[in-house]
Amino acid sequence: MAEVKKLNVPEKITDDKLIDLYKQMWQIRFFDEKVDEFFAKGMIHGTTHLAVGQEASAAGVCALLDVEDKITSTHRGHGHCIAKGATADRMMAELFGRTTGYCKGKGGSMHIADVDMGNLGANGIVAGGIPLAVGSALTAQMKKKDYVTVCFFGDGASNEGSFHEAVNLASIWKLPVIFVCENNQYGMSGPVTEMVNVENIATRSEAYGIPGVVADGNDIVEMMNVTDEAVQRARNGEGPTLIEAKTYRWKGHSKSDAKKYRTREEEKEWRQKDPIKRFKEVLVEAGLLTEEKAEEIRLEVKKEIEDAVKFAEESPMPTADDLLTDVYA
Amino acid sequence: MREITYLEAVREAMSQEMRKNDDVYILGEDIGVYGGAFGVTRGMIEEFGPERVRNTPISESGIAGAAVGSALTGMRPILELQFSDFITIAMDQMVNQAAKIRYMYGGKGKVPMVLRTPSGSGTGAAAQHSQSLEAWVTHIPGLKVVQPSTAYDAKGLLKAAMDDDNPVIFYEHKLLYKTSSDVPEEQYSLPLGKADVKREGSDVTIVATAIMVHRAQEAAEELEKEGISVEVIDPRTLVPLDEETIVKSVSKTGRVVVVHEAVKRGGYGGEIASMIAESEAFDYLDAPIKRLGGAPSPIPYNPELEKSHVPQVPDIIQAVKETLNKA
Amino acid sequence: MAKEVFMPKLSSTMAVGTLLQWFKEEGETVEVGEPLFEIMTDKINIEVESYEEGVLLKRYYEVDEEIPVNAVIGYVGEAGEEVPEKAPAVDAEANADEEVETEVVETQSTQKDGASAQTEDGKVRATPAARRVARENEFDLASVVGTGPKGRIHEQDVVEAVGANKVFATPLAEKIANENGVDLREVTGTGSRGKIEKADVLAYMNGSSSSKKAEELEGERVKLKGLRKAVADKMVESTRSIPHVTLTSEVDMTKVIELRKALLPVVEAQTGYRLSFTEVIMKTVAHTLGNHPKVNASLVGDEIIMNKDVNIGLAVAVENGLIVPSVKQANKKGLAALTEVSKTLGAKARENKLTPDEMSGSTFTISNLGMYAIDGFTPIINPPETAILGVGRIVEKPVVVDGSVEVRPMMVLSLSFDHRAIDGAPAAAFLTELKESLEDPYSLLV
Repeated sequence: MAEVKKLNVPEKITDDKLIDLYKQMWQIRFFDEKVDEFFAKGMIHGTTHLAVGQEASAAGVCALLDVEDKITSTHRGHGHCIAKGATADRMMAELFGRTTGYCKGKGGSMHIADVDMGNLGANGIVAGGIPLAVGSALTAQMKKKDYVTVCFFGDGASNEGSFHEAVNLASIWKLPVIFVCENNQYGMSGPVTEMVNVENIATRSEAYGIPGVVADGNDIVEMMNVTDEAVQRARNGEGPTLIEAKTYRWKGHSKSDAKKYRTREEEKEWRQKDPIKRFKEVLVEAGLLTEEKAEEIRLEVKKEIEDAVKFAEESPMPTADDLLTDVYA
Repeated sequence: MREITYLEAVREAMSQEMRKNDDVYILGEDIGVYGGAFGVTRGMIEEFGPERVRNTPISESGIAGAAVGSALTGMRPILELQFSDFITIAMDQMVNQAAKIRYMYGGKGKVPMVLRTPSGSGTGAAAQHSQSLEAWVTHIPGLKVVQPSTAYDAKGLLKAAMDDDNPVIFYEHKLLYKTSSDVPEEQYSLPLGKADVKREGSDVTIVATAIMVHRAQEAAEELEKEGISVEVIDPRTLVPLDEETIVKSVSKTGRVVVVHEAVKRGGYGGEIASMIAESEAFDYLDAPIKRLGGAPSPIPYNPELEKSHVPQVPDIIQAVKETLNKA
Repeated sequence: MAKEVFMPKLSSTMAVGTLLQWFKEEGETVEVGEPLFEIMTDKINIEVESYEEGVLLKRYYEVDEEIPVNAVIGYVGEAGEEVPEKAPAVDAEANADEEVETEVVETQSTQKDGASAQTEDGKVRATPAARRVARENEFDLASVVGTGPKGRIHEQDVVEAVGANKVFATPLAEKIANENGVDLREVTGTGSRGKIEKADVLAYMNGSSSSKKAEELEGERVKLKGLRKAVADKMVESTRSIPHVTLTSEVDMTKVIELRKALLPVVEAQTGYRLSFTEVIMKTVAHTLGNHPKVNASLVGDEIIMNKDVNIGLAVAVENGLIVPSVKQANKKGLAALTEVSKTLGAKARENKLTPDEMSGSTFTISNLGMYAIDGFTPIINPPETAILGVGRIVEKPVVVDGSVEVRPMMVLSLSFDHRAIDGAPAAAFLTELKESLEDPYSLLV
């Protein structure tokens, strides 16, 4: 057995956790690829937004969170859900509109939430979850609780007023919140280079007097390290941090996207930076994983996703009686 | 019993609850030492401190969202918006987030919050600070909408709103802040969804909200002198709406005038009128349902124009007579 | 061209007619003057003859249906002519002439623009409440003149047209009315705003048990209320609709007086009440009625009902009116029981405490004015009963007995009967037997 090299990762990330994360990244990828396939086949309705290619930021950030910690997510949120502990079967059931889904089939792709696991929900409104995350952090501060709230959003959301209002609020009140901007280069079809007049969205933190960090969003190790620092600041009462994870979505914005706004060359270039492949290489080089074991994990996850599909397909549909339940508490 | 003002009643309801329940806090613009745009929170920061009487930046979307997020995670915030017109800026958080979270999440999570906000014209504040936009929020399943007309109702309904596990939009009328009524000192709760018959009568029913309740009562007194007996019903909460009380009254009188300050077109009066038309009261209607509401223009600045924008006592009297073919 | 067959308006008060039978099938030929159908109005049954000759092309209504006056109920024309599938709407103008004649004067002023409630396409402009009242009364709105804007028909317009009143009644009054099949629209309320209270229903039931409408009280325009109104209605109804004939006969009461004297202490010991002549007469009447079922009959609609039980109504004068409690199965009761029941009912009547049951069901009524200086009178029948006995005072008179003049206590009986149901001979036979029984009351024991 090759010598195990100590990786430059946060203290709380054990070797086992690293292998788990590798597995989790495959879960995210296979889940979204499976969803992509089903949408293409018309097996599930509505719309969906896939995070294939962005697995490192979801997995890397959430690796530093405990169950008590909260996240708010976005319309491209399947990865965040899995990273925060959601299981593929109930997520798939939700996309199939089944009662066993996380939202009993009433939320669908854009609204998966698992409040018990600290997932305050994906959000169909761009930047809609950012003020919610601030509110969640306010609760932690007022109730003197130790949890932090991570707020995922995209490059497009950073142009919304509520982003600025929320970051300002969090900064003046020094709330335990970490703003994670997943800059995947496009807000739907709008290239970030045309929509934002600064090179790094992270520099917008300066306007609010909080730290802003640019990270390679396709490098899970780097994502873990910057998150670790931000979480510690938050837990120490030093207030929020803005992290910008530079990444790329491999798929289109949503299910029917001809991707005319970008070139195939650009897509190919980013595929070279495949976050899962890169992490595997790091793990193999560190002696924590072999190619054989990596393949074993990949196949295992693939099977797991197939099982999730089976679970979803076999689950019951809601009835008309469910229509008016849960409108009010 | 002692008499206090509507404004004091609102403040007392909040203060009493905040003394009891640490999860309740209030946030909003200039609610600290300034005491809020209309002085409702005056003195509260001194008692409860800046943590729980949380003065915010001018960020309606941000603070509404913060209220929703904190409610979702265990607090019971009261959000004060300086003017109800500003709900436009907080709308995404109230409509797309607060109202839907529980349903979207399949019944997990709840958003126990109250958004308090002064509405209505009559202060000369013109088009952007005088509107009555309550119909907008009544349209959204998941929100509850309250519109008290007296100090007594304000205190009891606000207690119920604070106790409710859903987002409640609580409209206070600016011109009513200074009105007084007998209000018990102790806490009490008036159920959401229970209308109040402010005056009993037999010839015509007036369903009126907020300040129109007072104008309707004035009109009823005038009409009584002419032998016309008017029943005045204040729904008090628009969502949920006490349909039963209204239907019962209209079935009795056979005639109804619905009056609110909000612009008539698309106003909640249309909902009330439709509800009556669809109900068993239909067969007892002996005149077309009459609606009175604001004119289809922005609220003008000139005091006379401003007055003519919204229904006044003579308008209500005229409408009642029209339903009786006595106009 | 096919001609309409109408529901004829046969009286000024007729609003609807009930179809009793068709004499012709669709497709059958009919001559002018040939009976086409039979109807029942609120007064009579009548055969309606055809005004046209031809083939009966269409029949829109079935037997037992109530049809508004002037409604088209069929078509007569040439074979094969096209007629509407459904009955056409009633022509308002044709119908409005007579019935609303008196109202037109008043309504013209309120009908500001003079427009008719009927729009050009034949639809009627009316409020939901007006439509409800019309529906409940099976009344044709097209015949109502609206007083609202553009001739809109309001509830009150229909109420006036129907001749009914909007019913405001206490729940108790409604309950009693329901239990006794009383139509509240016919009861006059004495409560606030004319609200009908329990006493009104009871008074109505006492005063009237048939369903005549107030509109038939022609000429009766004095404001009457409560019991007085009920009595008034009843009397008018009775005298108007019943051909009264009154027979009188003088009775020697010598033996009845003896009998009463003998039994007075017995009955008093048993019941605590004093036996009066009324009870003795009642006993005798009840017994005699058993032999004369025709006089114990009721006339309801077009049927004479020979009542199984003999229930004697006892006219009791109370303040501001007359109440007739009913002594049930009087023929099966002895004098003690009759005394007790009569006295109790009389007391309750005066205290206004009679139950609906105690006030209904009588089959024959006795009206005793013997305490006054009255000999004979013409009592008015209490419908649906068909006869009533008026009892005068007992007065000593010289009478011829077995060829010599003797002073005897004499009493005049006046029997009014409904000549529709009873003829003179059977009525006379009844009165004769009654007289004989009273003159020899011991025969009752036989």
